[in-house]
Amino acid sequence: MSTLFTWTSLLPVLIILSSLIPGLLIFATPEHARTRRTLLNMTGIVIKLILVALMLAGVSQGLTFRFEIPFLPSAPLVLHGDALSLQFIALSSILWLATTIYAIGYLEGSPLRSRFFGYFSLCVSATVGLALAGNLVTFLLFYELLTLSTFPLVVHRGTPAALKAGRVYLAYTLGGGTLLMMGVALLHSLVTTPDFTAGGYVLAQIEDSSLGLQIAFILMIAGLGVKAALVPLHSWLPQAMVAPAPVSALLHAVAVVKAGAFGIIRVVYDVYGVEASTLLALTQPLLWLAAVTMIYASIRALQQQDIKRRLAFSTVSQVSYITLGVALAGPIAAVGAIVHLVHQGLMKVTLFFCAGNFAETLGIHKVQEMDGLGQRMPWTMAAFSVGALGMIGVPPVAGFISKIYLGMGALEVGQPWVVLLLAGSALLNAAYFLPLLYRGWFGKPPADGWQKDNFKNHRFETHWMLLMPALFTALLSLLVGIFAGSILSPLGWSEFIVSREFAQ
Amino acid sequence: MTGLQLYLILGAAVFLLGLHALLMTTDSIRRLIAVNLMGAGIFLIMVALAGRISPPDPVLHALVVTGLVVAISATAFALRLITAAARIDSGQSAIPDKASRLASKTLSDVAEDSRP
Amino acid sequence: MTYALVSLSIPLLSALVLMLAGARLSKRNAGIMAILTSLLSLVAAWFCLLDVAAANQSILLNLGGWENGLAIRLRLSPLSSLLLLFAAFMHVLIGIYAGFSRQSVSRDFWTLSCVLHGSLAALWLSADLFNLYITLELLGLTAVAMVALAGKKAYKPASNYLILSLVASLFYLLGVALVYGRYGSLDVVLLGLQTQSDTTTRIALLVMTAGLMLKAALWPLHLWLPAAHANAPTAVSALLSGLVVKGPIFILWLLWSEVAPVDLAQQIGPVLAVAGMIALVAGGLSAMRSPYLKTLVAYSTVAQLGYAMMALGLLMTWQLPQMHVALWLFVIAHGLAKATLFLAAGEMQTTLGTKRVSGLRGATQTVPVAMFAFAVAGGSLIGLPPSGGFLAKWVLLEPMLSSPQNWPWAFGVLLGTLVSAAYIFRVVAISFDRARINPPDVRPDRLGHWLALLPALMVWGMALIGEWLIEFLSGGGV
Repeated sequence: MSTLFTWTSLLPVLIILSSLIPGLLIFATPEHARTRRTLLNMTGIVIKLILVALMLAGVSQGLTFRFEIPFLPSAPLVLHGDALSLQFIALSSILWLATTIYAIGYLEGSPLRSRFFGYFSLCVSATVGLALAGNLVTFLLFYELLTLSTFPLVVHRGTPAALKAGRVYLAYTLGGGTLLMMGVALLHSLVTTPDFTAGGYVLAQIEDSSLGLQIAFILMIAGLGVKAALVPLHSWLPQAMVAPAPVSALLHAVAVVKAGAFGIIRVVYDVYGVEASTLLALTQPLLWLAAVTMIYASIRALQQQDIKRRLAFSTVSQVSYITLGVALAGPIAAVGAIVHLVHQGLMKVTLFFCAGNFAETLGIHKVQEMDGLGQRMPWTMAAFSVGALGMIGVPPVAGFISKIYLGMGALEVGQPWVVLLLAGSALLNAAYFLPLLYRGWFGKPPADGWQKDNFKNHRFETHWMLLMPALFTALLSLLVGIFAGSILSPLGWSEFIVSREFAQ
Repeated sequence: MTGLQLYLILGAAVFLLGLHALLMTTDSIRRLIAVNLMGAGIFLIMVALAGRISPPDPVLHALVVTGLVVAISATAFALRLITAAARIDSGQSAIPDKASRLASKTLSDVAEDSRP
Repeated sequence: MTYALVSLSIPLLSALVLMLAGARLSKRNAGIMAILTSLLSLVAAWFCLLDVAAANQSILLNLGGWENGLAIRLRLSPLSSLLLLFAAFMHVLIGIYAGFSRQSVSRDFWTLSCVLHGSLAALWLSADLFNLYITLELLGLTAVAMVALAGKKAYKPASNYLILSLVASLFYLLGVALVYGRYGSLDVVLLGLQTQSDTTTRIALLVMTAGLMLKAALWPLHLWLPAAHANAPTAVSALLSGLVVKGPIFILWLLWSEVAPVDLAQQIGPVLAVAGMIALVAGGLSAMRSPYLKTLVAYSTVAQLGYAMMALGLLMTWQLPQMHVALWLFVIAHGLAKATLFLAAGEMQTTLGTKRVSGLRGATQTVPVAMFAFAVAGGSLIGLPPSGGFLAKWVLLEPMLSSPQNWPWAFGVLLGTLVSAAYIFRVVAISFDRARINPPDVRPDRLGHWLALLPALMVWGMALIGEWLIEFLSGGGV
């Protein structure tokens, strides 16, 4: 019990509380107290960033951060900050900063902001908790809390369309959560619930209960696949686009979709382990699922004329890269998968910020309306281009790094067809992103002026709180690509994670 | 057939008769009487069972007396409730619910922030 | 044991005083007295729990000092001490709500609530079949009287409830008579040593089970419940759904886990478990379709009792002590959550001036606290971690998943979870509708709303003592 009170065990709790407490306080903040709300948000973010930096330093020094309280018999609540969780936490904390600033600008003057930012903070707390979860039961807990805290954000507008999307969202995610719970409970009855262990902990049971283990795996992947939007469980994602732009950005880049992908990483690497997953013949079907998702969603994206919907299908496709990398079950592919968690987040959040800026500033929602955008909003368009090129995999943007590692990983484990698949996917990505860029930069602006122009006489091309986050994340996507070789980059950190994962 | 068996069968018959009446009628008073009949059947069975040994089992007699007290109070309460319910049965007016009035409100007052 | 007797007799004495005092005591003072009574009883129950936890076994008391077999025995087990505490807490909470929130209650409420409290405490402590009959009858009559407190429109449902309640007690009494005729004993512990699975015992247990199922509104004998619970005053609905239906379940559990011979229990168990599964789905579907908020909540009781029935049925079938833990975790978690649901529903009805679910449009803005409470308590009914409902479901799932031939039961739990989620989120989703907000008629009553939230937070707080609860319930066992 004495470990309860050391700073290393309390740090994970503090990281969660640093967004939870501001969130609860924001709920109690009156609607008009704008400054107080912003102050609470910013304080929370700064504290969280400091704590995360502290933990990063600690983990790279070899310290362990573990917090435990009893919950269920032989399944306590465990928070454990390891290298993999830090990858996710660092991403979500930085993007929380960007998204909050963006949301403050975006929602200026609209009602119910206290409720919005309250749930926003809860959502970040749930995401961070999920990243810090040290065993499956704890993971399940935060996974469900994430569903609950994101629902009010999806239906924030309260229009019939938003409610409809919200119901679909709930039906999918709660259904997924139930499947996950069944899987976790089944696995618990087979091998109980120890901490996540690099290399997994089911290998000893593989002889006795292979069927049970397989079913538990399928249930859990189905449950996680809903949030990770694996085909055919992806339909909620494009519908959830009715939410305000910062919510879409958060859902797509960090919170919900990534929670699913992160869960898949955890289940394959730290619960089953690569060896057991391969022995149980589970990785190959997962690989196929990821491949189908990648191609199908890209084709669907081609058909979409609404910018946000096109981005949504692109998310479905891009997140399956992570699953693909995991399913390849080799160290290099694993690096690709884990690093893509961050890269995709940075690029996708940029794209959503930009799409939101187009809509907010000029009322542009459709691809056809993008002609000549680059002349009116050069900075936003530039950021958008960075994101889009990164998605396609053009060096030196971050996406290139992920794809290279995934491709090399596929060759390493002797699945060369995956390289072809990646190339095909890149072509499809190009096919649905390049027209946007072409229209934006080389198209002619409408002769009769923009249908609406909100920030015409503004100092910047749009509200600075909308522009800055987009530029910031675009810059980050470039930087992590350019400096991928350094140890502090996401790539370096991913290699550090994988070196531990595959040490066994 | 011994006397004990005869009384037991009789008791069961009275119980079933009461149950039958309960299921077949809708009038509250009749149903209450049916319930009392069922009770009488059970008491008959209990008194009969008391005679299975000699001297007769005093515990069962005590139980029957207690049961009778309960039955009488319950019946009195039920009668009061049933008559009260019958008295006001006719006078319920239907005031339309507020929700149904609101349902006719138009969509024009859609929430403030309906930005796309 | 002394504390248990104190916890039991205080409410009964209070009821007597309140009845005798009548109009001489102002309504407000009567309320304060009743709340203090429950509070004292709560304290006594707490000490009683500590006693049992220290002794780690059941304590028996022969009333009047008679010898075994002749005496009416009381028994204080870990479970009954926990239930004493639970009942007292619910009475304190709902008492404060009834006394100080805007929902006014008549003077008679206080007398009746004291009687109800006393009879529940007696029920938890009884270990004698006939004594249980008396408490059951007392519970039923008090509950009916409380439903009738809602005024004229409730007389009809109340009188129907009364008739059914009487019939149910008679069935139970018939079984008691048969058991006594066969074994010459009414003591639960002594009977447990004697019973054999012959025809008389079989018939006796079956008629008792039918009666108790009718009383507890277990599917398919649940049809009276929605009308009675939905028409009662808010505070009464909360008591009825949270506590009263749990009384017969306690007796049912006592019968089948202690009195009945094991082979008989194993035969009947699957039937009960299947009925529980059907209850989960059928009750949930009815809740999903119900146009009225309180009826929805009442149907959710029918559905949730399905979990309890499933746990009981599987306890009988497999004779596993975990199921006993699951059953009582469900009962407590459901009691707390349901108290919130009814209090929140009552508050929202009064504030928004509508009984319909569709009238809740915009409730997240107009009555945020009550709506939040509703959603939080609903989360426990669905069984989302880390709520009490999740705890219970987890314990229930463990043995189901441990061997492949039991997996179909787990499918039932899965189905139940999804259906509960559907009806809870039906309400929650409507409350986010900002397009056609239903404006409140009156300002929300702060105290009422926050009181509604309290049990919801407690049911989620059960997670913190989850491991201890499971150990406590399985350690002492019976």
